Amino acid sequence: MKKLIQVKNVTKTFGSQVVLKDISLDIYENEFVTLLGPSGCGKTTLLRIIAGFLDADEGHVIMDGEDIANTPAYKRDVNTVFQHYALFPHLDVYENIAFGLKIKKQPKDIIDQKVRRMVSLVGLEDFLHRDVTKLSGGQQQRVAIARALVNEPKVLLLDESLSALDKNLRKEMQLELKQIQKEVGITFVFVTHDQEEALTMSDKIVIMKDGEIEQIGTPLEVYNEPINEYCARFIGDSNIIEGNMIRDGLVRFDDVEYECVDKGFKDNEPVDVVIRPEDIDIVPRNQGKMNGEVKSVLFKGVHYEVIVETSSGTSKTVTMHVTKEHDITNESAHEKISASNFYMDLEDVPNLTDSEVITRANAQAWNEDNEDVSLSKVTYNVKNEVGTYDCTFATDKGTEISIKIFVVKPNVIEDQSNEEGIQAFDFYRTADEIKESMALDTDLILWADAAAWNLEDDSRVEIWDVKYDFDDENIVEGDYPITFSTQGRELKVETTDKIEEGERIGLNWNPEDIHVMRKMVV
Amino acid sequence: MEKKTKLHEKIYLVLILFFFYLPIFYVVFFSFNSSKSLTRFTGFSLQWYEKMFSNRTIMEAIGYTVACAVIATIVSTIVGTITAIGLSKSNRIVREMVSQVNNLPMLNPDIVTAIGFMLFFTSLRIQTGFTTMVLAHIAFCIPYVILSIMPKLRSLDPNIAEAALDLGCTPIQALWKVIIPQIKEGIIAGALVAFTMSFDDFVISLFTTGPGVNNISIYVYSSVKRINPTINALSALIVYVITIVLIIINVVPMIKERRGKRNEKIS
Amino acid sequence: MKGFSKMAYPYIVWMVVMIILPMLMIVFYAFSKSGNDVLTFQFTFQNFIRFFEDSVFPNVLWRSLKMAVATTIICIALGYPCGYIIAKLKGNNQAIMILLITLPMWINMLVRTYAWRGLLGYVELSSEARVYVGMVYNFLPFMILEIYTSLSKIDPALLVAARDLGANDFQAFLKVTLPLSLSGVVSGITLVFLPAVSSFFIPKLLGGGQYVLIGNLIEDYFITSGDWNFGSAISFIMAIIILISMYVTRKLDRTAKEDEI
Repeated sequence: MKKLIQVKNVTKTFGSQVVLKDISLDIYENEFVTLLGPSGCGKTTLLRIIAGFLDADEGHVIMDGEDIANTPAYKRDVNTVFQHYALFPHLDVYENIAFGLKIKKQPKDIIDQKVRRMVSLVGLEDFLHRDVTKLSGGQQQRVAIARALVNEPKVLLLDESLSALDKNLRKEMQLELKQIQKEVGITFVFVTHDQEEALTMSDKIVIMKDGEIEQIGTPLEVYNEPINEYCARFIGDSNIIEGNMIRDGLVRFDDVEYECVDKGFKDNEPVDVVIRPEDIDIVPRNQGKMNGEVKSVLFKGVHYEVIVETSSGTSKTVTMHVTKEHDITNESAHEKISASNFYMDLEDVPNLTDSEVITRANAQAWNEDNEDVSLSKVTYNVKNEVGTYDCTFATDKGTEISIKIFVVKPNVIEDQSNEEGIQAFDFYRTADEIKESMALDTDLILWADAAAWNLEDDSRVEIWDVKYDFDDENIVEGDYPITFSTQGRELKVETTDKIEEGERIGLNWNPEDIHVMRKMVV
Repeated sequence: MEKKTKLHEKIYLVLILFFFYLPIFYVVFFSFNSSKSLTRFTGFSLQWYEKMFSNRTIMEAIGYTVACAVIATIVSTIVGTITAIGLSKSNRIVREMVSQVNNLPMLNPDIVTAIGFMLFFTSLRIQTGFTTMVLAHIAFCIPYVILSIMPKLRSLDPNIAEAALDLGCTPIQALWKVIIPQIKEGIIAGALVAFTMSFDDFVISLFTTGPGVNNISIYVYSSVKRINPTINALSALIVYVITIVLIIINVVPMIKERRGKRNEKIS
Repeated sequence: MKGFSKMAYPYIVWMVVMIILPMLMIVFYAFSKSGNDVLTFQFTFQNFIRFFEDSVFPNVLWRSLKMAVATTIICIALGYPCGYIIAKLKGNNQAIMILLITLPMWINMLVRTYAWRGLLGYVELSSEARVYVGMVYNFLPFMILEIYTSLSKIDPALLVAARDLGANDFQAFLKVTLPLSLSGVVSGITLVFLPAVSSFFIPKLLGGGQYVLIGNLIEDYFITSGDWNFGSAISFIMAIIILISMYVTRKLDRTAKEDEI
């Protein structure tokens, strides 16, 4: 095959922002090439440079052996299908498609022939004189393709051309585009952020990131052998695990060594390991390479997507003191008031406000009609040291309640292997408060003031799981343990067998299902 | 917001409309008065119309007004269109700057803009007259033209000019064949605004015109010291012209649309 | 496509010459002695001292401001209900009403004001009241249109939501419609206050020369007495006051919007 377009060391900056960094890429005749990447990766800029709408700051674009830097867009043998089609709304379908030929002053009968041939190629015979603004998205798409192809370009550029269509139509158009490309036999350069589109249509996929090309390969290559974490995440669903390459054919992750087929790494080199969800089999417990507990099962049509936790996160257990009803009734004012004792972190004392005290104590007052009464007076004598302090809430009518505030040093649990810390406090609640909670997990996190963070950079880590074994509908007085934990290692598995949440299972795979990648340079 | 309109609300709307139309009907009515009185209708006559048409100053004023409005409209529409297209492809800073400066004459009281022109022309030793008036009109019309074209340009597909180039148009062809046809409505609206702004202008004309050159507004203003019912006739004439023009503008598209619909049904 | 941006360049030059230079001329004249020109410029505050020394000029300025504020308030009071009722009409009727309100605006403002001269001959009114009628007549349509536009943009679902959350009709109006229409009121204020404060043909035509506003002063100094330096100083003072009041109005609008959030 012949090289049709050679992009050589192209660099492009907008202001201070480098959009393309030294890009080189060969595009062959009759090839369907997809530029794939998230928005802002430079793929559209590259396309516009090929089309001639932008000039490269450095580097060359060579087409058919000729540098086309000084060829304006309207003289290039290239046509574009734009993202929102850019159809001319003042012209009808026929006139839109004939536009380029008319500009080139082709004879009327030739124009008519070519337009009609193109229209039948894209299946718009019945819409020739329709107003383009009155067409559906898919029909507009076809007009845009026909309008570009009728000029018989050597290359057709497509800029996110399917993104405006709905899902079903997009699938249909993917097939159709591929079909058209085969039929007209010219090069298509297609820009998209949709990996599925890239996989189904392309002969060659170019994965881009931040103005650079990460990987070039056939769909099969980029799917099965992603070059790094970025490409693996971009193409398909992946489980990506940090590990170490012990030696050729042996990789270690999650504290266990596994056989693999990858070679050519330094001994003990830190690597990323990919295992595709469809490559993992579910087997009885202790019969696989890993054990885990099923966290969730999602039905996806043909298969189930199962999330399996293979090692737990960092966790902290606290005691919830469920107390009896302690409303205080003020008969003369016809009001009731309630509040609970609470524990708090010494570090939070300096920032304590009235409204925060009210929230933490869950203090509230109400009248006979069950309307809320505001707590006008909040008094407390909390000092900036560990101890037990008194706190009183009162309404305007003098309805009062007193509670204790326990200021304590936080008891932090640090898990060095996860590099996470977690803390939470014991707390008091009445049975009714628990029964009335609309989102119990969220409330429990709030009441226990539970928080987790990354030990390295202090960033917040989400509390992933709240475990308890009481029945919140029928809870009675007493002490209950509650465990808060962060997310552990979770693997995504695709299976066609029905499986239940909470089941304890084993996971198995073959050595060749493990794909080891070099760490990305940040 | 659709709800039942109550009776008192309808009455209120009618009263407001009555307030707006009262002086217009009054002027038309009294333009047919047979006497000089502005409050007593003594009988039907066309004498004020005859007087108006035989009054050279009035006829000249009408001529100057129309000539000025036509020139100002043509020039400001062309310049405004070219500028608006240029701005739509310029970077944000240029666009922002131009729109800020353009806002000046629109946000400044007319009288301030007007004396600015007057001082400017006299400082340059330019004799004020018809030319200076037209220049001033062009200057205050362009911002309105730009303002009415910009939204149309903004609503265009951002790639539309590129699509034209992609299909082989030179930049000039892209403008003529693709951009201009699509912002046509904005250009027409801009021209219409420019024409009425110029036609109705009083303050800026008063300060930028020279001896012997009056437009309709200046003539009305300078002749109010005496009771002069020819002004009623002149006002009525303007009312007739505007009414006819507005009817055409509002009715013609309606007919077109109806015809278009019929054609669609036939095909 | 950068090539097209060059099309804006000629106008940028024109803009500097025909918009910025004239504005600078006013400043130049306001701060110089009479008889000066660009070559023999002598800086002075004399024109401004003269303005504030004599109580006549500040009085006229004060009267113009009062008049403009009062006109604006009357226009809001009359225009808000009107815009509100129109916004409630059915689609077609809305368009017709808006057309009916815009139609008179196409007719020369001077001609319409002139018409009131004859009409007001039927009633005994002070020259001040006559000027008010003229001002409200000329500027009310702007206020109605601005308020109508902002009201018609309010998503009806918001009112349904307010009702759903327990607001009655009046509360829904007070808490949802009114705050959302304030931006329309503010741009209406700009469109009424600005021409009202500087108007000079309305007082001249309807006040019968008895009623002098700041615009009449400027006209007199430019057209009749030819003292352009003093006239420029008066315009400069007026422009500054307008600038400040516009700034305050916008600021109020913004704080109002922040309060909503």
